[in-house]
Amino acid sequence: MNSTVQKNKTWPVIFGILGVIVMILPFFSGPYIQSIGRTVITYMILAISWDMLIRSGQLSFGLAGFFGLGSYAAVLSAVNLHFNPFISIVFAALVAGLIAFLVGAVVLRLRGMYFAITTLALGEIFRIIIHNWTSLTGGPNGKLLPKLAFDGASIPTYAMMVLFALIIIALSEYFKRSRIHYALTAIRDNEIVAKSSGINIYKYLLIAFTVTAAIQGAAGAGFAQLYGFVTPESSFNANYTLIPLAMTLLGGMYSTWGPVIGAVLLGVLGEFLKLYIPYGHLVVYGIIIILVLLFMPWGIVGMAGRLLKKGESHE
Amino acid sequence: MSELRTENLTISFGGLTATDNVNFNIKSGEIVGIIGPNGAGKTTLINLIAGIYYPTSGKIWLDDKDISQIPAHERSALGIGRTFQLIHPLEGLTVLQNVMTGFLFAQKMGLKQAREEARKLCRTLELTGLDRATGEINILETKKMEIAKALATNPKVMFLDEVMAGLNSTETLEAIDIVKQIAAERNLAVGVVEHVMGVITKLTHSVIVLDTGRIIAAGPYEDVAQNERVKSAYLGGGV
Amino acid sequence: MNKKKIYTIAGISAALILSVILLIIRPTILVYGIQRAGIYAAIALPMALVLGIVHIVNLAHGEMMMVAAYLSYFICTTFGIDPLVAAIPTGIIMFFLGLIIFKTSIAHTLEAPELNQLILTFGVAMVLSQSVNLIATSQPRKISLDYVSASATIGDVSFGIYDFIFPVLAALFLAVLIYFLKKTRLGKAASAVGQNPRGARIVGINVDLTYTIIFSLASMIIGVFGSFFITKFSIFPAVGGTFTMKSFALVAMAGIGNLPMVIGASLVLGLAESLVMSVPHGAGWSPMIFFGLIIIVILSRSFRSKQ
Repeated sequence: MNSTVQKNKTWPVIFGILGVIVMILPFFSGPYIQSIGRTVITYMILAISWDMLIRSGQLSFGLAGFFGLGSYAAVLSAVNLHFNPFISIVFAALVAGLIAFLVGAVVLRLRGMYFAITTLALGEIFRIIIHNWTSLTGGPNGKLLPKLAFDGASIPTYAMMVLFALIIIALSEYFKRSRIHYALTAIRDNEIVAKSSGINIYKYLLIAFTVTAAIQGAAGAGFAQLYGFVTPESSFNANYTLIPLAMTLLGGMYSTWGPVIGAVLLGVLGEFLKLYIPYGHLVVYGIIIILVLLFMPWGIVGMAGRLLKKGESHE
Repeated sequence: MSELRTENLTISFGGLTATDNVNFNIKSGEIVGIIGPNGAGKTTLINLIAGIYYPTSGKIWLDDKDISQIPAHERSALGIGRTFQLIHPLEGLTVLQNVMTGFLFAQKMGLKQAREEARKLCRTLELTGLDRATGEINILETKKMEIAKALATNPKVMFLDEVMAGLNSTETLEAIDIVKQIAAERNLAVGVVEHVMGVITKLTHSVIVLDTGRIIAAGPYEDVAQNERVKSAYLGGGV
Repeated sequence: MNKKKIYTIAGISAALILSVILLIIRPTILVYGIQRAGIYAAIALPMALVLGIVHIVNLAHGEMMMVAAYLSYFICTTFGIDPLVAAIPTGIIMFFLGLIIFKTSIAHTLEAPELNQLILTFGVAMVLSQSVNLIATSQPRKISLDYVSASATIGDVSFGIYDFIFPVLAALFLAVLIYFLKKTRLGKAASAVGQNPRGARIVGINVDLTYTIIFSLASMIIGVFGSFFITKFSIFPAVGGTFTMKSFALVAMAGIGNLPMVIGASLVLGLAESLVMSVPHGAGWSPMIFFGLIIIVILSRSFRSKQ
């Protein structure tokens, strides 16, 4: 990816405000639109979390793995430990984060394709363990939640998801504005230079990996709360890796607003396409990944920034 | 007052010994040239001291501390600064942000303080236009940024790896003045790798000559230049 | 070069020792292990070729195999021919499909960071699997053939013999590839490109053309394998996914650029999986072996390279 220094802050903020408005609209609509909204927000959160790690140059395919892990952690803690829905989401985030922390201690020594494939394999390992550990997880049949958050009422659950998204957006912006941003960007650009400036590469990668996995776990828990059940096939579905990746690429990598915009556009488009093409509508996502990578590697937000910059230099 | 000292420093890659029993030292206030033909192991020596590689054997002393097994980022915090032969600016950061990294991490400052200190440092180096991307600055500015990045870690010992390469003669003279002035003001120990002997004579107090990883001569440049082994190393290296 | 040989010898002898032990305890485990290893090796070899020479990880590798299997399926059902015959047209079609995929997308990212290639081929994988989903739906398809159920009995051990076609196929692929790389002009040029693209360009080898040919050739091998795959297994759009990962792991285990060792790595994986499957309740856990193996192998490789 070509690195771009974003100096102009206006465009991203405009995109952000638009995104937030789109998130508020479903409150004035019916349960169907709200359920689409919840799905889009789930993907948005995953997309932001993927971007937060790619800012360090590390490509993770482990989203579905931590997502599934989180959804099971939430359901199992609600069933066995009688946690209330909100505590079970926090618990899921902690479990996913803790496992990422332990695994990351080893896996973060890897780079490039080795890291990418290993994260993919990790997700599969989580799935196989859950699939086979029938006494705890219910095996292939999955588990039912005894009680949904807000008893499944549409508006409060949607509100919960919007709040969740806002927290993640704030967290992502904190990553962009704090010293973490300097560390992760330096690691992405050149690790040796980063080390020579005193950056503890391993520490910052571990922070990013753990935090993003915790977000993915929480997103999985949120999903379990929305649908009330988990199965290995639905919770560890590869779509939870594929779709957020396409969304982030389209919106623009290395920013908070890129994934937000990408999620709104592709999320709405996806729901629309699903009505007409029940099988294989995801082909559009694949095509978008390829086209963006070949012709528009900075995504929508990056393109807008560039156009604006050109306009300025002509003045 | 600080001193960097290497003791029988050796590293081999596979069968090749790139640095072979190197013993040398630099003290605060000294500028030492590190010269030798291509492939003599000059950059490898810097990488060993900076912690990019760990030695196969031998020690590196910074004052009374053996730093040879410490990770690179901690050495940076302890006072080893360096520039890079092939310049890799952090492209995702602006010029100012590039300079800030050393203050933020090696010196563990907060964002606000790091920004102020970086601005101040750039002002002393007469580096302006700090909000530009690294791709938008010219070569002299790039070199200044590299020096600023090294200085931002608050080094006791600083290595400049071909920092003058690519500069024209006026720019080179300016750069030499800058380095001399900084070294004097901060009482730094400086190691300089350069290919242009004019720079070495103007800048350094003494030199070490490396050939195939070994020190073959040391002392003031005028003496070393007369050394037969040095002459033959350079001639031989040219073949 | 020397180290490479040591690893090869160590790998092969480990596989041999494991086989001898298995032969004594449970011969069927050995038989199934070798048959599985054949499948893995046959599909991993084209990835090893691409990774060794073009230096890209094609994350659409398994999906291309899946597409080939569907192609073969439709050729067989339309013209009423045997999949083993259909391997020829499928291979040819896949050669050109590979060419198109490479020329239109992958070739444009060769100079870009590795990240771009990974994401791009990931996108290609998604397009392939979803297109098949769109055209053929996710309903599993299978061709029933009589000869695949042929079995043999040695002593009191009875086992299927058709599956030995996979180890034979893998050996054939390896032999052809090694002959190509060592003996033909194009193959020698390709090896040179794999070792040092810049040097190869300087001595006048057309590097871009070499990349294109190698990728297309690998696609052709994938195509032939796809036809053999359909003789034995049912296919669905997601069937290829795991083969991408397995192939990558095997190539990483073998060492990039070391084609013969892919066979050794496949034997280790095949035998280990077969062993776990023979344990009661082991079948569900057998994929674990593979993923555990990937992680161990990748980690140990990366640590070794850092030394």
